[in-house]
Amino acid sequence: MKTKVVLTFSPEASNQPITHNLIAKHSLMVNILRAEIDEVGGKMVLELSGKADHIKGGIDYLKASGVGVRPIKEGVRRDDDACTHCGMCVSICPTKALTIDLKSGKVSFNEEKCVACGVCIDACPPRAMEILI
Amino acid sequence: MTASEFKEFVRSHGTKKAAEEVDVVTTGTFGAMCSSGAYINFGHSEPPIKMQKIWLDGVPAQAGLAAVDGYIGATALDETNNMAHGGAHVIEALVRGKAVRLRATGYGTDCYPRKEIDTYISLRTVNQAVLMNVRNSYQNYAAATNSGPKTLYTYMGKLLPEFGNATFSSAGELSPLLNDPYYRTIGIGTRIFLGGAQGHVIWEGTQFNPGAPRTPNGVPKRPAGSLAVVGDLKQMSPEFLKGLTFTRYGSSLGLGIGVPIPILDEEMAKCCAVTDRDILAAVFDYGQPTRSRPVLKEVSYSELRSGEIDIKGKRVPTSSLSSIFKARQVSEVLKSWILKGEFMIQEPVQSFPKDRSVKTLDVRTEREAT
Repeated sequence: MKTKVVLTFSPEASNQPITHNLIAKHSLMVNILRAEIDEVGGKMVLELSGKADHIKGGIDYLKASGVGVRPIKEGVRRDDDACTHCGMCVSICPTKALTIDLKSGKVSFNEEKCVACGVCIDACPPRAMEILI
Repeated sequence: MTASEFKEFVRSHGTKKAAEEVDVVTTGTFGAMCSSGAYINFGHSEPPIKMQKIWLDGVPAQAGLAAVDGYIGATALDETNNMAHGGAHVIEALVRGKAVRLRATGYGTDCYPRKEIDTYISLRTVNQAVLMNVRNSYQNYAAATNSGPKTLYTYMGKLLPEFGNATFSSAGELSPLLNDPYYRTIGIGTRIFLGGAQGHVIWEGTQFNPGAPRTPNGVPKRPAGSLAVVGDLKQMSPEFLKGLTFTRYGSSLGLGIGVPIPILDEEMAKCCAVTDRDILAAVFDYGQPTRSRPVLKEVSYSELRSGEIDIKGKRVPTSSLSSIFKARQVSEVLKSWILKGEFMIQEPVQSFPKDRSVKTLDVRTEREAT
């Protein structure tokens, strides 16, 4: 199975080889979708592939190491009342998580495809997109 | 019929039958309409004040209209340039029924002795609150892209570097003036849907440019006509009036406008049969910061809506700034009003001028300007 998670690190937790440990000790395939680090810590968006119990083991390891783990669905949120379905976000979303359906004219947000890069946040004229990490 | 339904009808039955059977086509658009604003009469205080400076929720409004009338522009910003809360957002707050803080100062006169006031107003407390916009509902617009090395933040949205994307802003085949390219039925006095209420066209919009280049079927290929409109803010709905923010550009007003077009004859039916395939927009390179940006190519709205266009051999993803979903809603609501007899079609009291062109602003001497 596959799952996407958003990791947040304190500066202390940033110094551990967590990607290596997920691969070597928990037999997971790790696809780094996004990674950044600054003076207050780090953020990473990972796609983890492997057996369900390995994924659970990997996530438990991350939590035990002091890394914040959240499902990707909690990365970016759309306020459906604020969205006017203009479609400004569609051409800038690098993972095509935001698409417009020509028939209904509505913009849909596929949270599974989102990597919480945040490119849509300041592009949205009615400010309907919010980044939570 | 709505504009979408009409085009479908013409496809299967032709324009002759459409002209015989259809009375009115309802068009619609919902987009960022920067040249918008509202005038408000606040009522007189005790003792009275002749307002010289006015702020609504911190956003400056224009005074200088006697004592207690002010005009708040959609793109007005406070002194911190807070783009997330401009004039458009104040107008939306009023339409949502919220109270807005009014601060005003005056110099004091014998008849208006008060020099300042700090209070709250809402649509319930003021006399008139009227949306009056000088340039809305552009007849066609442009597509924007960016050849440069950096992301640009423009009134055409976020433009990614190296032709990373392209944006456009027109409801295309649903848009009012694209269904009446020569302004046969739309003119001064036309009753319209404005922000969820009924309003009127009051003049040609500023920068009205009927001489813009057109396709052989008469559809402008560049920004051409536009509408100046008016309507009662107290009747409007937040569903069709929304404060928008364009990062590092400023605020704008998302506004729904719908115009009914009577099918006078087959010629008019042909005009309203126009589809996105027949409407072209010029793609401008906003990487060039000049008023005469180069046109990279012309593309149809059906290409723009397909999600990708070709620019210099690159597949460039496209985005609309104008909501087709809301434009359709506007045309449907307007149709329902007409069917229920709540909205009467108004023949224009005067046609738009045919001889307007767009002038530029140059730095001139007094003699050159005379």
